[in-house]
Amino acid sequence: MGAGKLKTLLSALMLAAALPVLILYLWLFIDSMSDSRAGGLWPARFTLRNWRFLYQTIEGHPNIWPVTLNTVVFAGSTAAIVISLSATAGYALSRFSFPFRRHFLAAALVLHAFPSITLIVAIFLMLRLLGLYDTLLGVILVKATLELPLGIWIMKGFYDAVPWEIEMAGIQDGASRFRVWLELILPQIKPGMAALAIFSFLAGWSEYVLPLVLAPSAEVQTLSLYLAGLVQDDYLSDYGLFKAVGLFYIAPVIVFYLIAQDKLMHIYSGGMKG
Amino acid sequence: MRKRTSWLPVCFMLPATVAVTLFFLVPAGLTFVFSFTDMSAHTGILVHRYVVTGQTLARLAERGFEPTLIDKLGRKSFVIDSPGLEALRHSGLEAPLIAEIEATLRDRVYDTEKALFAELKALDNRPRSFVQRKAVARAVAKTVLNREFATEAALRTGLEALGLVLDKAAFASLRDAAFTGWSWTFDNYRELAASQFTLKILANTVFYVLFTLLFNVGFALVLAIVTFYLPRGQSRFFRAVWLIPRISPSVIYVMLWKWFSDHHGFLSTVLALFGLRGENWLLEYPWTFVIVINGFVGASMGMIIFASAIEAIPKDLLRAAQVDGAYPWQQVRYIVLPMLAWPILFVTSYQTLSLLTSFEYIQLSTDGGPGFFTTETWALYAFHTALSSYFGDLRYGYGAALAIVLVLIGVAVSLLYLRLFDFKRLVAEPPIET
Repeated sequence: MGAGKLKTLLSALMLAAALPVLILYLWLFIDSMSDSRAGGLWPARFTLRNWRFLYQTIEGHPNIWPVTLNTVVFAGSTAAIVISLSATAGYALSRFSFPFRRHFLAAALVLHAFPSITLIVAIFLMLRLLGLYDTLLGVILVKATLELPLGIWIMKGFYDAVPWEIEMAGIQDGASRFRVWLELILPQIKPGMAALAIFSFLAGWSEYVLPLVLAPSAEVQTLSLYLAGLVQDDYLSDYGLFKAVGLFYIAPVIVFYLIAQDKLMHIYSGGMKG
Repeated sequence: MRKRTSWLPVCFMLPATVAVTLFFLVPAGLTFVFSFTDMSAHTGILVHRYVVTGQTLARLAERGFEPTLIDKLGRKSFVIDSPGLEALRHSGLEAPLIAEIEATLRDRVYDTEKALFAELKALDNRPRSFVQRKAVARAVAKTVLNREFATEAALRTGLEALGLVLDKAAFASLRDAAFTGWSWTFDNYRELAASQFTLKILANTVFYVLFTLLFNVGFALVLAIVTFYLPRGQSRFFRAVWLIPRISPSVIYVMLWKWFSDHHGFLSTVLALFGLRGENWLLEYPWTFVIVINGFVGASMGMIIFASAIEAIPKDLLRAAQVDGAYPWQQVRYIVLPMLAWPILFVTSYQTLSLLTSFEYIQLSTDGGPGFFTTETWALYAFHTALSSYFGDLRYGYGAALAIVLVLIGVAVSLLYLRLFDFKRLVAEPPIET
């Protein structure tokens, strides 16, 4: 068999293997904007009826806009907390020698891989005692903290790549370590910080289990719970509607992904999901 | 350079340390503590108290508690003591009546309303109407039923105030029946060891982790190697496609699979062309779908890592092999695969840990079903037990014990993972000091 033929065969096999994924997401687009007859794959006609959730409330479910706002607040705050805490801790771990430094690093590595299911029972009870159960604040704090160990490791990696001559030069010129960090080092790792910010935002945006357990009520619902609620609703089996909501929900993910594909790929390869 | 201590690292470490302590270390410790309690939605979290309710009495009766005592416990009695007189003063009744009651009936106890009314009628300032007599009865009525006692001593005093003096054994069984808080126990671990479900769940977990892992890592390996040999444009396309399941929010991804496998979904429609009847394929072949759904998500991680490892193989090596007349599959077998030993080990151990503890995709797709525990894994079982029971009897303590056992398994895997992984290099000291 020639090399050309082999390559064609391999391409065909790859395409066949990728077919399920392609079908799933192709029909996410198709069905969100069309009526399809039961048992028919091809769209019968174009319609925007599936997008009715944007201007009317689906019976038995909250309005989409407060839910979207909740999700933005949740994901945005999570990203802000992760970025600020890991930018500082990552720098200290990368550049300073202090007691228990190794323990901090080891803890971050172990905790990154620590199963959150083992924490969630206790966190649930803690938030109830603290009065943070069923609030956005509670679930934000928990999500941000669970993302921290990975964030700290990634930030440390970015700082490690910055040549320390830059710092030496700053200190020689009489600047304090803090000023050196703020004005010389931070600008160096801006792209990395942006990638981590996007990653944390998307992690918050997609989060399902934490809001499900810690903030399930309608007032603080996020898009993941909203969509899961629609799919589980026995009175609705309208995949056109589900897919329109799904497309609405996945849009920011696609946009951010297209913007920062390579950087995200780097973080995802060390990410948590199974 | 002069060495001096700086506060900067302390200040920089503090916020992250506080957050991690509060929401990572404390809950981890508490999970351990909770696993030795019988805490549940029924017992509450903080409140410890004793309440005798109708149900308590029914339970006591079942256990052969003395019927006359149960009768007494369930009855209302009427006591003219200081709290009773205090209540009378606030009842709006006439002062002379109250004064006379205090003077003549003080410290009397009546078992029935009738007995109280009979005495009231004998008074000089006797209440004229039934309504007034009722008001007196209401003010001095005492019952142990549905009252909250904070401590054991308070319960005893409460009983004695009603003239109920129980012997030691009777009091002990009443106390235990009336207790509504959680208590310390080893029963969670005992139950876990004895339960007939434990083995089923464990077998499910091993099956799930093993097969998803095989699918994951094997598939990732094939993807990485094949895309390496494909033209650049194609390989970029395929790698991007395989990343989609991973970057999708889990709810959307599983919703799409549900549509795909639904009665009237894609699969049923396509198979109908071959004359097969429409089925809910997800429920028909739950394990296949659970493994494929998880496997497609996990494959991208291995794919990215393997692909970058293959890119790092010196091109000369591959070219030399080609010149020597090696077939592509020989290149893969003798050059690429040996170079990937390390990444394969890393991805395998990492995914083992993730799969052991992740339950999100199973919860969304089959939720452990169909039927009884068909696809229930350990992590999902812990979640169901403690946080999402179908019957609402959330057992925090038992769920915590399940989580602790999972941690022990996880720690064992992690230790292996740290040993194999070059950990020392990762925590190397920085080149400059302060």
